[in-house]
Amino acid sequence: MTDARGGLARRGGKLHAPTRLMRTSLPVLLLLSSAAVGAAGLGAAVGARRGGLSAAALGWAGASAAGLMLGVAYALVAPGVAQAPWATAFGAALACTALWLPQSRTPDVAPDARAAVRASALHSAAEGVAVGAALALGARFGLVLALTLVVHNLSEGAVLGAALRDEGHGRGAAARAATLARGGQVLFALLTGALVAAQPAALPWALGVGFGALVYLLFAELLPDSYVAVGRTGIALVVSVGLGIVALLGGGARGGAP
Amino acid sequence: MTVPPDLLRVFLYALATALATGLGALPFLAVRDISSRTMATSNAVAAGLMLGASIGLLSEGEAASAGATFVGALLGVAFVLLTQRVMGDREPEFGALRGAGARRVLLVLVVMTVHSFAEGVAVGVSFGGGEALATAITVAIAVHNVPEGLAISAVLRAQGESVLRCAAWSVFSSLPQPLMAVPAYLFVRQFSTLLPYGLGFAAGAMVFLVLEELLPEAYAHARAPRIAMVTGLSATAMLLFQRLL
Repeated sequence: MTDARGGLARRGGKLHAPTRLMRTSLPVLLLLSSAAVGAAGLGAAVGARRGGLSAAALGWAGASAAGLMLGVAYALVAPGVAQAPWATAFGAALACTALWLPQSRTPDVAPDARAAVRASALHSAAEGVAVGAALALGARFGLVLALTLVVHNLSEGAVLGAALRDEGHGRGAAARAATLARGGQVLFALLTGALVAAQPAALPWALGVGFGALVYLLFAELLPDSYVAVGRTGIALVVSVGLGIVALLGGGARGGAP
Repeated sequence: MTVPPDLLRVFLYALATALATGLGALPFLAVRDISSRTMATSNAVAAGLMLGASIGLLSEGEAASAGATFVGALLGVAFVLLTQRVMGDREPEFGALRGAGARRVLLVLVVMTVHSFAEGVAVGVSFGGGEALATAITVAIAVHNVPEGLAISAVLRAQGESVLRCAAWSVFSSLPQPLMAVPAYLFVRQFSTLLPYGLGFAAGAMVFLVLEELLPEAYAHARAPRIAMVTGLSATAMLLFQRLL
């Protein structure tokens, strides 16, 4: 690379005063995070409607969610690695391993709706960490990620709604379950933001945890089911384009002033 | 006709980076049994390493021009699709390999070889910044090539290729580096403009290959949680490795 170290370092967002960011951006963050949670409920209602969504539609929804998630993961890890590579890497490794350990012990069975809701809650916690860490890098970046998650949650909500419909739950119940499951996103965004504001040295760890968790979840859950439903080429295309778009938007937001 | 010493130096530096790729095959001296689980793990390792490398490339390209990198990435995806279309439904052969395994190996080699063009340009362009920068960049790319050779070897070894052939093909995939370094050095200004497109192209092609070939193959032979963990840890290791260069 012409400037391998410089390239990453240049794009590493400056850590502006997190406390100031939290104060000025908190209301907007709360609003967008709540919108993201609401989007999950809307997606679930769509997924749970009579007739539901076809397996292929769910596969495409999962793929688009995966692409956005991978883009978010990229947007987080690049500045983290630039600022503190070891802390970011350890955070990522910790998240991957922590999420793998319980799953390594469970048998391989098709998940029921309860398991799908639990999985969604786990996803939302990881995404909340990602949003909280992103906000510490820059208000615009945090807001871009929160908006990305609005779109992402629509897809995940649809997948969850379909799973709940299959077990006889109605649209209202599906929407409520999805909204509750995704509520962790707001909570963990606030917790992460507060932690980083109190202890700025925790930021690279948070970025790494966000990256590791997002990457693990999309490879362990979103992608395998999508491949089966749609086929590898279509999934690869959707995920690649999703990654590219978020990387483009997130990178631009990271480089801007807070 | 004598070769100007500066051009010879550029070529030799870039050749050294290409040869370093062969070192990536060495860990497979310790892997004897190619069970389906080993095959899946190898593909997951390769997927993670390529994903980590792609993140580095995207970040590097984004620093120069996000738009050009994005366009390059789309072209990279299109290139892999075109390559697959050219291969068509024919049953390719690769040494003793046939069918889907040969097809996967060929795709990986094609993508990684094309990817090396951008790295060769980087080496050549770096000589425009002086000897110290050129040496630093050459060492960085040489070391960076080792895990890329590991990724290539992981795919080849999973198909039962010998360690020697893994090393040879890994070096082959990096031969564009010395070939591109010299013209990039001679036309540094023009190549500098094109570099973000090249970085995006390499990243887009690798990401698509990971998603379209390596991961589905890995999922076919091992549980998704294991694949996810191996891929995630490999990508993390590659990111750390690149940053520490």
